[in-house]
Amino acid sequence: MSEIHVCSVDALPSGEGLRVEAEPAVAVFHVGDAFYAVADMCTHATASMSEGYVDDDATVECPVHAARFCLKSGRALCLPATEALRTFPIVIRDGEVYVDMGADALSEAAE
Amino acid sequence: MDDLLHVRSLVNSREGTVKPAIYTDPDIYRLELERIFARSWLFLAHESMIPKAGDFFTTYMGEDAILVVRQKDGSVDAYLNQCRHRGMRVCHADGGNTRAFTCPYHGWSYGLDGALNSVPLEKEAYRDQLDKSKWGLTRVTRVATYKGLIFGNWDATAPDLEDYMGDMKWYLDGFLDRRAGGTEVLGGVHKWTIDCNWKFAAEQFCSDQYHAPYTHASAIQVLQPTTANKADGSPLGEGQTAKPVWADALGGVQFSGNGHGSAFFFTGKPDANVWVGGQVSAYFREHYPEAVERLGEVRAKRLAGHNTMFPTLSWLNGTQTLRVWHPRGPDKIEVWAFCLGDKEMPDDVKDALVKSHARSFGPAGFLEQDDSENWVEVQKVLKGHIARKTDFCMQMGRGFEERRTDGIPGLTNYTFAETAARGFYQHWADMMSAENWGEIEALAKASEKELTNV
Repeated sequence: MSEIHVCSVDALPSGEGLRVEAEPAVAVFHVGDAFYAVADMCTHATASMSEGYVDDDATVECPVHAARFCLKSGRALCLPATEALRTFPIVIRDGEVYVDMGADALSEAAE
Repeated sequence: MDDLLHVRSLVNSREGTVKPAIYTDPDIYRLELERIFARSWLFLAHESMIPKAGDFFTTYMGEDAILVVRQKDGSVDAYLNQCRHRGMRVCHADGGNTRAFTCPYHGWSYGLDGALNSVPLEKEAYRDQLDKSKWGLTRVTRVATYKGLIFGNWDATAPDLEDYMGDMKWYLDGFLDRRAGGTEVLGGVHKWTIDCNWKFAAEQFCSDQYHAPYTHASAIQVLQPTTANKADGSPLGEGQTAKPVWADALGGVQFSGNGHGSAFFFTGKPDANVWVGGQVSAYFREHYPEAVERLGEVRAKRLAGHNTMFPTLSWLNGTQTLRVWHPRGPDKIEVWAFCLGDKEMPDDVKDALVKSHARSFGPAGFLEQDDSENWVEVQKVLKGHIARKTDFCMQMGRGFEERRTDGIPGLTNYTFAETAARGFYQHWADMMSAENWGEIEALAKASEKELTNV
């Protein structure tokens, strides 16, 4: 298991993001009924996606250079970003939110 | 002392004369940006405009573009709105909420705290050699708040804000502190330009009650409370004192030091008599007892009057307009006008006040236009070679200054007197010819002696 506890379901209001310290750092978002996790570092430049502007259509806009990403697929939707954000599975258990970092995330950090 | 441009020969507050070069000379204007605007406390914003973390308002200190930003810890900071890379304005919005300020030119991005957080292609272009900690936004040296008003000052050695305000604080309290909860800005900011030197506007609000009965004669006549004023029979001046109140000589003009001044007149009853709508007038009457409790009878009743806190912040009690005269060259200003109401005002009174404010002192306001017409015409006259060399007379009430014993502070005189104008221009000349605040304060002491011992 490589799950990291994020917060309780009630602690993150819809439309908000939260940075989770991990290797790599993860941004967790709550949009409507769903939670999403993507790599926190923008693929274009130094920026924390957890600070980004969340839209109802499950996209997030980078707070620094306005690149938009799909929270479901991680895909970059407009310039200046061209590379997708890595996505991570979310696990919700007993009202608590976890992000599954997967084995390769940890081994990537070790490289 | 370092009177680079010999401005002390242009202002003679003892004799009461001014040479009009101070309104036209580009060299004097450039020195003003340095010695007046980069050393005085300047109004930036009202706290109510930026309540939440990440809220910001863009304004100016002199001609310098400024960002005023609510921080994550609730404090307020201000920065030069200029990218440290190639000088572009990092924020183009009038105001809003953000998480970063990103320059539209090359994409350098700064946090709410002004720190340079992100540089595009940092690794490839700068080879990771750029020390980002050295290239944050230029922070305004000092930011301080007084009863909701946020001020900035570039000079680390200037007196603290409240010392700088001096007796003017007493007058400002009468505007900001009538009710518990303080004030807020109602509606947006009206911005417009007037082709005149900034000192015409600042001086008039500081010292000139004299113009009102003549310049505003038509407006005053139109606004006399008669049922013919409005189709529904409710006149604009409903319930207000009918006769011009400056006739009773109860008011005064006062100079507060540091260039600040105001003039005021009393109303017989606790009504506004400032040409606001009847609903607003009724509000002032209704809450008069609370104002008396907080401010005393003198200030509670002093609902009318004009004020300038040097150099460019002015306000009018009653019509509730607060404005900054941003300088734009020797012969142009941008007026930024804010309508201030008590937070506790009912919403319908707020609406009525916003309309009254726009009607009287908005860009097309019936009183505003009277004033700007004069300033623009004087500026045009000053295109003349001989006109620029011809002294202006500033002698009204010279030698009749006094300190009142009824608790009204400042160096006072009869309502129609140029006491505050003489103080305004003397302080201007002192600031323009002094190398630092130590000198400014020494000159101010000497000047006050001269002003009072004519």
